[in-house]
Amino acid sequence: MKGNEAIGEGAVRAGCRYFFGYPITPQSELTHYLAKRLPEVGGLYLQAESEVASINMVYGAAGAGARVMTSSSGPGISLMQEGLSYLAGAELPCVVVNLMRGGPGLGNIAPSQADYFQATKGGGHGDYHLIVLAPNSVQELLDFTGKAFELADYYRNPVMVMADGIMAQMMEPVELKDEAQVEIPAKPWAATGMIDHPGSKRIINSCYVIPEEMEAVNIRLKEKYTQITLNEQASEGYLLEDAEIVLVAFGTVSRICRAVVEKARQLGIPAGLFRPITLWPFPAEELKRTTGKAKCFLSVEMNMGQMVEDVQLTINGRAPVYHYGRLGGMVPVARDVLQEVQKLYSGGVVK
Amino acid sequence: MLKSKRISIFTGAFGSGKTELALNYAIKLREKGKKVTAVDLDLINPYFRIRSVREALETRGIHVVSPRGKLAGADVPALPPAILGVLEDSSTYGVVDVGGDDIGAAALGRFKNNLAEGSFNLYFVVNTYRLHTRDVPGILSVLNRVEKASRMQVNALISNPNLGSETDPETILEGHRLVLEAAHQLKLPVAFLGVRRNLADRLKNQEVPLFPLDLMLKLPWQDG
Repeated sequence: MKGNEAIGEGAVRAGCRYFFGYPITPQSELTHYLAKRLPEVGGLYLQAESEVASINMVYGAAGAGARVMTSSSGPGISLMQEGLSYLAGAELPCVVVNLMRGGPGLGNIAPSQADYFQATKGGGHGDYHLIVLAPNSVQELLDFTGKAFELADYYRNPVMVMADGIMAQMMEPVELKDEAQVEIPAKPWAATGMIDHPGSKRIINSCYVIPEEMEAVNIRLKEKYTQITLNEQASEGYLLEDAEIVLVAFGTVSRICRAVVEKARQLGIPAGLFRPITLWPFPAEELKRTTGKAKCFLSVEMNMGQMVEDVQLTINGRAPVYHYGRLGGMVPVARDVLQEVQKLYSGGVVK
Repeated sequence: MLKSKRISIFTGAFGSGKTELALNYAIKLREKGKKVTAVDLDLINPYFRIRSVREALETRGIHVVSPRGKLAGADVPALPPAILGVLEDSSTYGVVDVGGDDIGAAALGRFKNNLAEGSFNLYFVVNTYRLHTRDVPGILSVLNRVEKASRMQVNALISNPNLGSETDPETILEGHRLVLEAAHQLKLPVAFLGVRRNLADRLKNQEVPLFPLDLMLKLPWQDG
């Protein structure tokens, strides 16, 4: 399957029946796929007039308790930030897919990871968090999209699946499990009409005019984010037990870095890879726990240095943390990253 | 066996392997000493298209026609005028890689009147492990839509059943049987069976000629 198709199929199999979106490269095949697939299962695909409209349609469908998704790439996701803040404020579950491309501005259609800050540090206004998942294979695009719906419903929070143009466009074999009947949890808060819940008003809202009330909501949200941070950190380690130099990378770049680690090992350099699967919550506990022997960290990203800040916060001065990045839609080349690893190792940083 | 023609056009469903087939075909022609031009007509997929291996082709002496400069990395329907030159220049062999599905094939229709009857083969590449071509009705349906969109007739299938790196000879043979069945129903020949070069030895004695493939379009972590 192609990455874009896997996301679409993952959503359908998770019981998503509503998609509102607007085409943008490199995720247009996802909308194309769902336009065909959703009507087959009695769902609705709607191409909105803009990304601003799509995210507000998502708000409406989520408020009515539906499993709903939208997808876009950088520029479109930027347009959605206001809606994402409202969704987080009203505690509405939904899945948003961001297949990153070169930026800022209109940028280009080549792969990038430059939306890390936007996704993990807010993006929209107000104190809130999205849960952000970073798959690194077509199988994971399928599986994580399903997982995203579960997390969204469980925590009543928007979840972002974040990858890039390479993941979206590449093809890999996937295993499709037998389609099981999806159990969508009860949503006693959803506004489904007074006929469904006579006598009890259900209001989907993020407006609290009285500061004391807003603060109470903020505190409740903070408790929820704490729970998510405690329960949902996910990561993967590769050859970390004796690693003295630890590469940190997510998504596409983690695949490249795995190859780099293998080559470094052949050269006798004890390298390892730490791969965050959840970008928010950042898997800080596991990073601290599994890299005890590390003498230095190298965060490899397709941006100017974003995730590296979370690595630095986690390592907290225990060891030096470096960044290697390619920008503008350029993809790191394995031998260049290997050279960087060799430089750090032989340059006396790793002693 | 299908007679080869000066112009070879590769169509198919999304992700059927058209581009790999076209690239390998161009290289094979070049190795036989022909003057070859590879034409990138893929307006649909912004990644993994001929223009991403332009250099590798040019070092082999294959001329590449695809949008240049800014247009090379743009998701716009840009068709370089040099395409017409290839179709009309009887001294050069043209290998044309068309975008996937009917929406990709629409771009081909624009050249219908520039393609002289009998001067070209219009191939339809089938990977039976792709979503919409998993069975004979699926194959016929996509083929039909490609023909409608391009307003042209396919005159041979290319069998390309694979599951990427997880392909083994059994995978290929199982899929190939479906392609043969589809070809039978369509009364079309199967021009060849594409297989990764390392599997070719284990698939000898097919009724359809084998086409051993060297994969050109690699992912960043497959750069050797």
